[in-house]
Amino acid sequence: MLTAPNLISVGIAALLTAGLYAVMSYGLAIIYGVMKVINLSHAGFLMLGAFMTLVYFQRWHLDPLLGALLNLPVFFAAGWVLYAVLVRRVMTSLPIASLLLLFALWLVLQNVALAIWGSEDQSIITAYTYKALPVLGFRIPLTRLLVFGVALATLGVLHFVLGHTYVGKALRATVQDPQAGVLVGIDTERISAVAFGLGTAFAAFAGSLLTLLFSFTPDFGGPFQLKSFTIIVLGGLENFAGVTVGAAILSFVESYAVLFMKASLQNVIAYALLVVALIVMPGGVAQLWTRSRS
Amino acid sequence: MRALSARLPWARGAPWAPRASALAALALGILLALVPAVAPRDITLLNLGFFTFLYVAQGLAWNVLGGYAGYVSFGYAAFFGLGAYTTALLWLAGWPPLATYPVAGIVAAAFSLIVGVPTLRLVGPYFSIATIGVGEAMRVLMLNLDRITGGASGLNLPTAVPSKTWFYTTSLLFAAVAFAVAAWVRGSRVGLGLMALRMDLEAAESLGVRTALFKNVAHSLGAFLVGACGGLYATFLQYVHPDTVFSFTESISLVLIALIGGLGTVWGPVLGAVVFYAVQDYLQTSYPTFHLLVYGVLLILILLFEPKGLAGLAERAWRRMRGAPARLAPAGPSGAEPAAPGRGGAG
Repeated sequence: MLTAPNLISVGIAALLTAGLYAVMSYGLAIIYGVMKVINLSHAGFLMLGAFMTLVYFQRWHLDPLLGALLNLPVFFAAGWVLYAVLVRRVMTSLPIASLLLLFALWLVLQNVALAIWGSEDQSIITAYTYKALPVLGFRIPLTRLLVFGVALATLGVLHFVLGHTYVGKALRATVQDPQAGVLVGIDTERISAVAFGLGTAFAAFAGSLLTLLFSFTPDFGGPFQLKSFTIIVLGGLENFAGVTVGAAILSFVESYAVLFMKASLQNVIAYALLVVALIVMPGGVAQLWTRSRS
Repeated sequence: MRALSARLPWARGAPWAPRASALAALALGILLALVPAVAPRDITLLNLGFFTFLYVAQGLAWNVLGGYAGYVSFGYAAFFGLGAYTTALLWLAGWPPLATYPVAGIVAAAFSLIVGVPTLRLVGPYFSIATIGVGEAMRVLMLNLDRITGGASGLNLPTAVPSKTWFYTTSLLFAAVAFAVAAWVRGSRVGLGLMALRMDLEAAESLGVRTALFKNVAHSLGAFLVGACGGLYATFLQYVHPDTVFSFTESISLVLIALIGGLGTVWGPVLGAVVFYAVQDYLQTSYPTFHLLVYGVLLILILLFEPKGLAGLAERAWRRMRGAPARLAPAGPSGAEPAAPGRGGAG
């Protein structure tokens, strides 16, 4: 089991998964950062993104990758509307109220999807689904490489937007200090709407990418949502760069742990890590070195 | 952040005084206990009663921590499942079912302490997220412990089961015990402490409320009752499977029952469970999970317009009937909480 090629191939797989995990968690991190709301409907939008990709694919033979791009504006608009109609109304109340509202939204999305598409496994088979490319002497499925490439590109664009545009800067300023943001003239209400739109769009985008790798049902999304929580908690909740770190940690721990335990127990690692991280290091892994420095 | 308590004003209970409430519950209980004597052969009715009471008991149990203290847990399926498996294994070992329920409750309560002591230190929403993690981790672990749990094929239990009347009565008894516990805790020192810490954790601590202790007491009381219910459920079905007794759906059912019925009230979960099971039973054959859609929509409406749930609606209807002017919903600063400093909710 623990041969060098084996370790390297697991490492490559872990790296590829980390890219997907990062994209999948960014939406959650943006919404949490700006609004301090834990978005329990994240799973619903991951799932809906996947099903919309299926619809595009069946209706117009649209490739899942293009479907992912199409999902960005569609779900940005959906997120914006949901914010204006629902989420905004509970923002001033107890934090648990927004959590429960978004949880209810998840239930609604999930069961509407069940009513429309039923509970059977769905999958999207493209011309390249079963192709593989040699990388460092290992044959890697093409879909995984594509997903990783798209994930990297998206993270690059997102990084640029956050760092160099007005909206991005306003968004980060709001994350750091909402009141100071208001003082310098940022419309925080508007920024919250943008954040919820972006978060929803990224969830759906990630959902589309997931269709390249997995089959899906309306229940699909729950485990990915929990993993996203683990990732943003590991990353430090309000730290966008931390998302990538968290994604890498989770992905590598999961991938290598499978060498030592039953594969069916893999998800337990993420769940256990979530609970432990919440209790032991609410500031994320970054907390470990900031604390040791002081 | 200070105005928080205004929006979910966790009702002060039904409009009746505690004594009237207890008398009403007693009368209702006696009436329901007479049903098997009147209709001993109506299996459908007895089953309906069995499941409704089981949900009533669990909704009430969940509400002790979730409603009074505001610590919303999405992980009670872990207690239900542990209870179900405890009863299953003891029953297979030759115990009479009734003797296994207290043990099932104790196992669940012990587990609740293991989980609760570290996680209840987290504030509200983080606790909720952690409980999802614990609940799902338990389900996957149990699915993989095939030696004990039967894994993906589940466990078949003895077929010599008590009568439907026995199940009906036992379930009613569980609901009655849960009601008594919930009502008693609410008026006790612990209940007052829980409600104080829900409004302001630091203020409660500064006044000497032992918040960590009270939260754990509430958690393990709820876990004990839910664990016992899990045991009863296992006896009824004569079959346990990790995916059903540890399911996320089981966890969220309890959350929904308490929230829709009326968070923090004694009658809320009773009302919530009746509606929940009625809708579920009505839609079961045509569409197995449709009740969750109905409940999701209801939950959104309740969070937006009537934070006190069905119990709040009932209270409003009661006031209107007596001619008193109904208070406008979503409570502003003048809402149900007497001392909510700062500005109100969404004004």
